[in-house]
Amino acid sequence: MTTDPRYIRNFSIIAHIDHGKSTLADRILELTHSVEARDMMEQVLDSMDIERERGITIKAQAVRVMYDSDDGQTYQLNLIDTPGHVDFTYEVSRSLEACEGVLLVVDATQGVEAQTVANALMAMNAHLAIIPLINKIDLPAADPERVRHEIEEGLAVPADEAVLASGKTGEGVREALEALVRHVPHPTGDPDAPLTALIFDSYFDAYRGVVALIRVIDGSVRKGMKVLMMATDVVTDVEEVGVRRPANEPVDELGVGEVGYLITGLKDPSLVKVGDTVTLAKHGATEQLPGYREVKPMVFTGLFPIDGDQYPELRDALDKLRLNDPALIYEPESSHALGFGFRVGFLGLLHMEVIKERLEREFDLDLLATAPSVEYHAYLTNGEMVALHSPQDMPDPSKLDRLEEPYLNTTVLVPPDYVGQVMELAVSRRATFTNMQYLSKSTVELHYEMPLSELIMDFFDQLKSRTKGYASLDYEPIGYRPSKLVKLDILLAGKIVDALSFIVHKDKAYDRGRVLTEKLKEIIPRHMFEVPIQAAIGTKVLARETVRAMRKDVIAKCYGGDISRKRKLLEKQKKGKKRMKNIGNVEVPQEAFMAILKVDE
Amino acid sequence: MSSQSAIEPVSLYVHVPFCPSKCAYCDFNSAVVDVSAAAPQVHGDLRRASAVPERDVGDAYVDAAIRYITEASETGVLADVPTVYIGGGTPTLLGSRLVRLVRAISDLPGVGPETEFTVETNPETTGSELIGQLVEAGVNRFSMGIQSFDDRVLTTLGRCHDSPAAERAAGVLRGSRVPFSVDLICGVPGQGGESWVESVGRATGTRAGHLSIYPLSLERGTALAGAVEAGLIPMPDPDVAAEMMESAAELLELAGFERYEIASYALDGQQSRHNTVYWTGGAYLGVGSGAASMLPVGVLRQLSPAAGQAARADDEWRARLVWTTTVTGFLTGALEDAPMQLETLSPADALREDAMLGMRMSVGISDELAEDAGVVAVMESLADRGLVMHAAGRWRPTEHGWLFGNQIFSAILGAE
Repeated sequence: MTTDPRYIRNFSIIAHIDHGKSTLADRILELTHSVEARDMMEQVLDSMDIERERGITIKAQAVRVMYDSDDGQTYQLNLIDTPGHVDFTYEVSRSLEACEGVLLVVDATQGVEAQTVANALMAMNAHLAIIPLINKIDLPAADPERVRHEIEEGLAVPADEAVLASGKTGEGVREALEALVRHVPHPTGDPDAPLTALIFDSYFDAYRGVVALIRVIDGSVRKGMKVLMMATDVVTDVEEVGVRRPANEPVDELGVGEVGYLITGLKDPSLVKVGDTVTLAKHGATEQLPGYREVKPMVFTGLFPIDGDQYPELRDALDKLRLNDPALIYEPESSHALGFGFRVGFLGLLHMEVIKERLEREFDLDLLATAPSVEYHAYLTNGEMVALHSPQDMPDPSKLDRLEEPYLNTTVLVPPDYVGQVMELAVSRRATFTNMQYLSKSTVELHYEMPLSELIMDFFDQLKSRTKGYASLDYEPIGYRPSKLVKLDILLAGKIVDALSFIVHKDKAYDRGRVLTEKLKEIIPRHMFEVPIQAAIGTKVLARETVRAMRKDVIAKCYGGDISRKRKLLEKQKKGKKRMKNIGNVEVPQEAFMAILKVDE
Repeated sequence: MSSQSAIEPVSLYVHVPFCPSKCAYCDFNSAVVDVSAAAPQVHGDLRRASAVPERDVGDAYVDAAIRYITEASETGVLADVPTVYIGGGTPTLLGSRLVRLVRAISDLPGVGPETEFTVETNPETTGSELIGQLVEAGVNRFSMGIQSFDDRVLTTLGRCHDSPAAERAAGVLRGSRVPFSVDLICGVPGQGGESWVESVGRATGTRAGHLSIYPLSLERGTALAGAVEAGLIPMPDPDVAAEMMESAAELLELAGFERYEIASYALDGQQSRHNTVYWTGGAYLGVGSGAASMLPVGVLRQLSPAAGQAARADDEWRARLVWTTTVTGFLTGALEDAPMQLETLSPADALREDAMLGMRMSVGISDELAEDAGVVAVMESLADRGLVMHAAGRWRPTEHGWLFGNQIFSAILGAE
């Protein structure tokens, strides 16, 4: 028994990070009695530990709640919680596609930020109704009037009817739901047409296989149907359909406009893609829903177990994570310095950090990550193009015609006082200024085109620190451009350490080499012998530093009362050494491999 | 009382955690205490409290130490006490109260004329009357922390004496005609090579028969670490300290001293027997707030059935105990229920620790110990690196190995 689409509202909550989206979602669940307050873990929707700790959403979620409106009707509200980070822009766009409206949450103390703008634009492009909600009005620093103004000025969204709310106290939450019921259009679709449903996310269940989260556009889906995944061209049986409240609850059927889950028994997550269309295997739809694209990783890094014996465990762990995260790709890589590991592709730096943290935490692995790199395109003299995921893949210079690197359209929002600092940073990162506009008296929007490789070099942290935390950042890829790039090698004690090599613009090679050797000199501990550190392009040495030989290493005072303490100190030192990697006879701490990211300029 | 037949030699250490002032580099268990202030009320034992109503902190501490030592002696574990060491802190800050403690220890049946009996002192508290009384009461060795004869260095270290005071105090010790040792610290920021050589020379000039040479180590939370962090004093340079350790070794060798441990130099026969107990796996009973003991579990059981029970180990295991009680706790507690941190070492762990500590000394360790501790392969690889050598059935550290002692110790600790 499906719900009449007139009483369905599908919406998403979009917000800049930390603007209180998840807390607000919790309050909605509470208000609609979907979760008993006392049983509720903080922020039910962000179900991963890391999501909760960092206050971010990585996976989309969908929850159905029943809301008794002031108009006397009971509405089926489907809340589709979207990832809140620029790494996951495509996932956000698919989630929005499953909605008719959004709650645009803006922090009453922070105002409009870059991601607010980006998300709002996405919602507008998807022709969604936008209901502004000014959150955290309980805070003393709340300035709803200023924020209302910013929303109107900066986003061109009428905000005179903005809901004033506090996820913390629950104030305004009911008003927000009323506004949704009144202003968000109900879904429309043809119940008699063949099934078309959009997959907006999926996750892996150890017992059931891949579970797809879907929104039905036309027709309906029932258990026992034979369906086709159009992009991957896979035909499968529907084992179960249901809704999440937030626990899975099987239903007989999902009809027009409804949101729920679909279990097919498929075990391979790569067959169930976000953005794909589900239709009937026979006499189904002929055209895919628009907007599908293959998700491509943007950032690559080598992950190596510190203890080489953990290689098989690392493989198993990556295989397991991939089940829930088809965007994660990896291939075996070997390094002279680090042994066997994987070259892993991520959607962005946050995605990378989260995965590394999960591998270490959930699988108890000690990992060493090499500096992140982007996918460079090498065009050979024979016309062939080779994608470089690792500096080690760099072709012989004699065979190389040119190199291209990925560029981004970058949007920075910043108070006018900091424009100079942002400009300075941008120039130092090979960014080309394209335009600038005042969103309000207090916010300037700057647009740059810049190489992705520069963005992943600590750009965001630098931006934050130069603007006292005020700047916010958003970006989207705009394709590849030719660039004068070289591979810079680092030599320790005269030997190239392949895992420290990186690709850099020719004009910056000297500076980066110099700063990096200086940095490494600080990081690499003194040994019983001298350790020269060199930066070189081919055989040409650009910079050289030396870690002087250590003259002594001894705890000289050790009597009865000291023994236990000194022994613990030695054990701690030893543990510290275990976290280092032996390259030749040089012990290199893990942070050396990330040092390139921290070259403050 | 005890069914044990063999008498185990057990050394005695008494910790006196009081100082006249706190030195800038010091993170030891000591505090600036007015020992003549009234002692805290004793709770829960009114009888004992009312028996000695007018005690000061120093007396109360000495009383408590004597009480613990007497109780321990009554169990039979102190039947053979080869060495006694009263350290600190600054034990001589106790003045005549210390004489009372020394007498009580000398009166123990296990303490005799062959017992090495050392008291630690410092220049401000070394008066000839006190030293004379201590010698008369049984002390036959002193150890004095002078640290430097350069007043600028002494200021950096936050010592409250100057070099003339050090000379005077050394004269008092010399006059007592018992052997004494002097401590020096090298690698102090602002301390030049000449200042160091002069300090070493003047230390030998005091006629001390024993010298301890330490590089300054910057310990977290000390005033010196704070000053370095604040940029008021430059960071101690480990290379400079290494050079000074080397130059001291050369100078002292010329002066007839033998370096018998990383930081310890002695004229013939004047090695510290007490410290040697620490480095050779000997048993010792520590008494006082923060003091550490190392006892075979069998001895621990004899000393305190409750602690023996808590150790939950066979008699051949060893137990390390550290008094975690505060000074007040020490003054008022009873031996049986004093809070102790207990660590047990299996025979294998104990052997490894013996090997590690043994390699601090020039005599090193015997083939037998290396074998039993399972460190022969480790020794061989350390020998390849020039850190140890093998001769006449023993493994010994090289000069180079002494400077890189941590590499030897870690390798031994890490042996499987």
